[in-house]
Amino acid sequence: MGIISVEHTNQLFWLGRYSERVYTTLNIFADRFDSMIDLDTDKYEEFCLLQEIPNIYTSKEDFASRYCFDERDPNSVYSNLIRAYDNAIVLREEIGSLTLSYIQLAVYAMNKAKESPAPLLELQHVRDNIVAFWGIVDDSIDDEHVRSIIKFGKRLERIDLYARMRMDDKEMRREVARLNFRIERTGLSYSRKKLAHINYLVEDAPICYGKLVEEIESLCQC
Amino acid sequence: MELKELSRYSDAVNELLARYGVKFGIYKNNTFKEQLFPFDMIPRVIEGEEFAYLERGLKQRVQALNLFIQDIYHDKKIIRDGVVPEEFVYAGSGYLAQCEGVMPPKGIYSHISGIDLVQSKDGTWYILEDNLRIPSGASYPMIARDLCRKSMPQIFQENPIADNRNYAKLLRRTMDHVNTGGHTVILTPGRYNAAYFEHSYLAEQTGAHLVTGSELIVENDHLYFIDFSGKKERVGAVYRRISDDYLDPMHFREDSVIGIPHVYDIYQKGNVALINAPGNGVADDKGIYYFVPKMIRYYLGEEAILHNAPTYLPYYEEDMKYVLEHFDQLVLKDVAEAGGYGVVFGSKLTREEKDHFLSMLKAEPRRFIAQEVIDFLDIDIVEGDKAVPRKADLRAFVLMGEEPMVWKSGLTRFSRNPDSFIVNSSQGGGFKDTWVLSR
Repeated sequence: MGIISVEHTNQLFWLGRYSERVYTTLNIFADRFDSMIDLDTDKYEEFCLLQEIPNIYTSKEDFASRYCFDERDPNSVYSNLIRAYDNAIVLREEIGSLTLSYIQLAVYAMNKAKESPAPLLELQHVRDNIVAFWGIVDDSIDDEHVRSIIKFGKRLERIDLYARMRMDDKEMRREVARLNFRIERTGLSYSRKKLAHINYLVEDAPICYGKLVEEIESLCQC
Repeated sequence: MELKELSRYSDAVNELLARYGVKFGIYKNNTFKEQLFPFDMIPRVIEGEEFAYLERGLKQRVQALNLFIQDIYHDKKIIRDGVVPEEFVYAGSGYLAQCEGVMPPKGIYSHISGIDLVQSKDGTWYILEDNLRIPSGASYPMIARDLCRKSMPQIFQENPIADNRNYAKLLRRTMDHVNTGGHTVILTPGRYNAAYFEHSYLAEQTGAHLVTGSELIVENDHLYFIDFSGKKERVGAVYRRISDDYLDPMHFREDSVIGIPHVYDIYQKGNVALINAPGNGVADDKGIYYFVPKMIRYYLGEEAILHNAPTYLPYYEEDMKYVLEHFDQLVLKDVAEAGGYGVVFGSKLTREEKDHFLSMLKAEPRRFIAQEVIDFLDIDIVEGDKAVPRKADLRAFVLMGEEPMVWKSGLTRFSRNPDSFIVNSSQGGGFKDTWVLSR
């Protein structure tokens, strides 16, 4: 393993978290927004409640626009993507220009979607670039610790988001199994007791989602 | 190659440069913005023989400049012998009293020198400026060359164009040559620095670690990098991309939060190499530029191979007289400014502006130099489906390892404004690849 500072370790972890936050929230948003169109027009209120973000939106249209694209809203997908970019841009020598370029492309795609007459369709390109980013992380980052810290951030964020959105127990178990596999490869210190508790929490339905979020957030204080 | 084709490639290459984040930062109205650096596909081509001439001249110049810096901070013979007046050495902001008597590892001061040249319409090359502190710009042609080779493989196959992608190797060799034992790091002020892309790209390409001051610590007379587990790894060379002022708050600006406390102490003891050495500003001041041909004669016993642009120092009475008489034909430069700022063309001033400028000039003659306006050779750039001529300069890079090495390429910057001579990226300029033919 090459030498990595605390600062870069932290940035690798948050690059993983924010890029996953963009990807998963866009997926969940696409799914939930579909039912807001004609079935449950106020569903965004529930979305905000589950995500624990303030409901500052005045309508489903306002929600669709601002939740995705408002750079002044710290909870928007746009803001999360910029945070992913801010972490990626300082990691060029760790992750490589090629890997970094997919986050840059996601930013360009987001800006293009914002200006598009069909913005929600164009967001597909943001998701595509994040998927490509994950692919290139696996393919081109040789240092296992660097790769694993990013992926650890990704796994942790996904469990956090899935738990908030009350995903079913089978999906939760799959994601926790992936976390178990990944965390050992990071070389980071974490609470084994908390990890055991996380495994216990997803063993049987019904899952205590609130407790799971709490444990996930405090598993590794990066 | 058809212009239409070049124009198409130009768009594709610029799109890829944007994808790879090839940008520079700029502050406007106190807000940081990242801007793309526009690339033009028509290269500057330098014949092998012509480049060999430039290479000889650049090596000669950088050797003399290194000897000058060493002399100024030690014996001061050049001052004692009346070749360079002491006012020009000690009154300049680049002179650092803290460097007196300090010898850097292997006696090298300017490891990476960026020498700006222009070619006049009669083909003569002139040196415009020496940059011996933190010259930037090598990363742009490095990454652009990769893309150009992909877009025009047949041209690279059929022409003996020197491969410029070895810059990272030359830089690594330069850094390793003075390394005092341990890792090599590139010290950046952070991502909001104008040249952050370059810092991170050079770290990636050379395999050096990109660090900020907070990741390094001086302990027991050595410099260490602290890794995430708290382990300390010794550092033997710091390619610092922060200015002297901010390098060490214990010796220079005490309000610096981006430097490394006490790094200058261990540098003085020879326990770490700082690349480039602190205090180099004494030799790349615009006022000192005038004396470089004299330095070459003094230290090397040779005539300068490369010419300075005809320059006048209003500090000298005779030169002041000439400047006042020929003001409208001259370009005036504030010696304290850089990046294309503080440059005034006499012919472009209004009556009031001229009066104001002349009063400043008379009050502070040491602050300005005057130069004849060199009618640069125009180089074509692609604009839409047309080729249009624009002013361009060349920043050549000289790296000092065991021997001086001139990178067989350089940064060709051009003005996008047809009426401007200012080529700096911060003022809207673009860049080209520089092809040096190997025969």
